Amino acid sequence: MIARLQYFSRETLISLRRNLLMTLAGILTVAVSLSLFGGILLLSKWVDHGTEVIKGGVRLEVFMTVNATKQQIADVRTNLEADPQVESFRFLDKAAAYEEFKRIFRKNPDLVAAADPESLPTSFRIVPKQAEFTNAIKRRFAPQAGVDDVATPEEALRGLLSATRTARWIFIGLSIVLLVSSLFLIVNTIRLATFARRREIEVMKLVGASNWFVRVPFMAEGLVQGLIGAGLAVAVVVALKIGFDSWFSSPTGFFRDFYVTTSDAVSIAVVVVVLGILIGLVGSLIGLRRFLRV
Amino acid sequence: MIRFEHVTKTYKGGITALRDVNADVQKGEFVFLVGPSGSGKSTFLRLLLREEITSEGRIVVAGRDISRLSHWKVPQLRRNIGTIFQDFKLLPSKTVYENVAFAMEVIGRPRSVIRTQVPQVLDLVGLAKKAGRFPTELSGGEQQRVSIARAFVNRPLIILADEPTGNLDPATTVGIMRILDRINRTGTTIVMATHDQRIVDAMRRRVIELDHGQLVRDQARGVYGIGTDVAP
Ligand SMILES: Nc1ncnc2c1ncn2[C@@H]1O[C@H](COP(=O)(O)OP(=O)(O)OP(=O)(O)O)[C@@H](O)[C@H]1O
Ligand SMILES: [Mg+2]
Repeated sequence: MIARLQYFSRETLISLRRNLLMTLAGILTVAVSLSLFGGILLLSKWVDHGTEVIKGGVRLEVFMTVNATKQQIADVRTNLEADPQVESFRFLDKAAAYEEFKRIFRKNPDLVAAADPESLPTSFRIVPKQAEFTNAIKRRFAPQAGVDDVATPEEALRGLLSATRTARWIFIGLSIVLLVSSLFLIVNTIRLATFARRREIEVMKLVGASNWFVRVPFMAEGLVQGLIGAGLAVAVVVALKIGFDSWFSSPTGFFRDFYVTTSDAVSIAVVVVVLGILIGLVGSLIGLRRFLRV
Repeated sequence: MIRFEHVTKTYKGGITALRDVNADVQKGEFVFLVGPSGSGKSTFLRLLLREEITSEGRIVVAGRDISRLSHWKVPQLRRNIGTIFQDFKLLPSKTVYENVAFAMEVIGRPRSVIRTQVPQVLDLVGLAKKAGRFPTELSGGEQQRVSIARAFVNRPLIILADEPTGNLDPATTVGIMRILDRINRTGTTIVMATHDQRIVDAMRRRVIELDHGQLVRDQARGVYGIGTDVAP
């Protein structure tokens, strides 16, 4: 068993070295495409958190006063149900409001500690049938009994959201193109490697090496490229996460509500590594396909 | 050990290389496969190795019907068969020792076994002193001896040789045949395709003659061709 491991690692290293330039090209394209992909995912998370208020199509919020009566809340609900300009709405009770408060002010534990669920207002999140109805709905509900305020999201935030949506799709498309080309590069590297070693392969088959034994060093070669590429990409994601934390840390800036959590970064890193492994293995399997038959 | 039952092989292009061949080779036999070029000798050997599949009939090797062997069991079959070719098929980047050891390594033999077996086999073929040389530093006869060592090192039941002396001069050929004879005496079955009339006539072993894919002669203690002069 140990002899086999030694054999595989030696053969893999020899092959990687023999194809050094192709190997480096493979690693770099994997790294660039996965960095782009990971970076986009991270940026999306960052924007998602910052634009939570208007996410899910919520366009305006009706805040009740803190001590609005049950009857007042029920009246507003009835009116919303009857309103022809309202597409849908959702009621946030005090507990839900507190959960969201905790999430939004997660960087401000003092504030969270001081907050009392009872002191938070309940609210309705409203999706208008058309965006143009926003102000009409606001005018209709602001004067109702028990209503404290009707908030509409900042125009700037809304603009940002639609801009990032477009940008996100462009970048995801771009990184998929790059991922596919890195796959092709690995396929090609493995093909070259099998060609360079066709005599060895021929002898191995003649003396009865199992198919897996023949394949493993090449698959390891693809895997190593995918993994090193993914490792570099993870480093880029981590650097970006640290960057986001420090560049936009001002508590008063426009981006104060934007953030990425460590668990966001970790799950993105996992996705990146899994993709790297897949690209390496699938690439080498495709590259090996030609000689899979006896 | 080897049984051909009504074996026919037709290649994709429609050429029938073997036609209804029947043969039965016992364990420990030494068989010469003779016949003109294109008569199907290499095809006979390739079918045994499962590099090609029979079109009709069946081939039984060591009790197993290899015409029906599943894809993943082919390596197991080949571990029981050593192969020797006219062009040696040695790896130029490996030394004599490494070339022989490679055949054990890639089927996962333990290193301690490799370390004792390889020198023994190199000794058998008379190359113990040249273990550290590369194939390009050897004569043709020596290279063929390396490939015999590689074919024999895993102690196969059968050795298949396809014109192993085709590139060698008569004196070197005699040396190679001595080694094959010695290996045969250990109980290893040998099937050797050849055009070399002299060695067939000299050794007087079983001869199977093919012509246009048909078995036309199967003779114990035979000679190369009917029309050839044989010393009495
Ligand atoms: N892979 C192949 N595809 C198609 N036809 C083939 C293939 N291999 C061999 N043949 C044909 O099968 C016939 C027998 O070939 P084979 O190589 O078995 O002959 P042989 O007896 O070994 O000849 P030689 O003495 O020249 O080595 C020939 O007509 C050859 O052209
Ligand atoms: Mg031939």
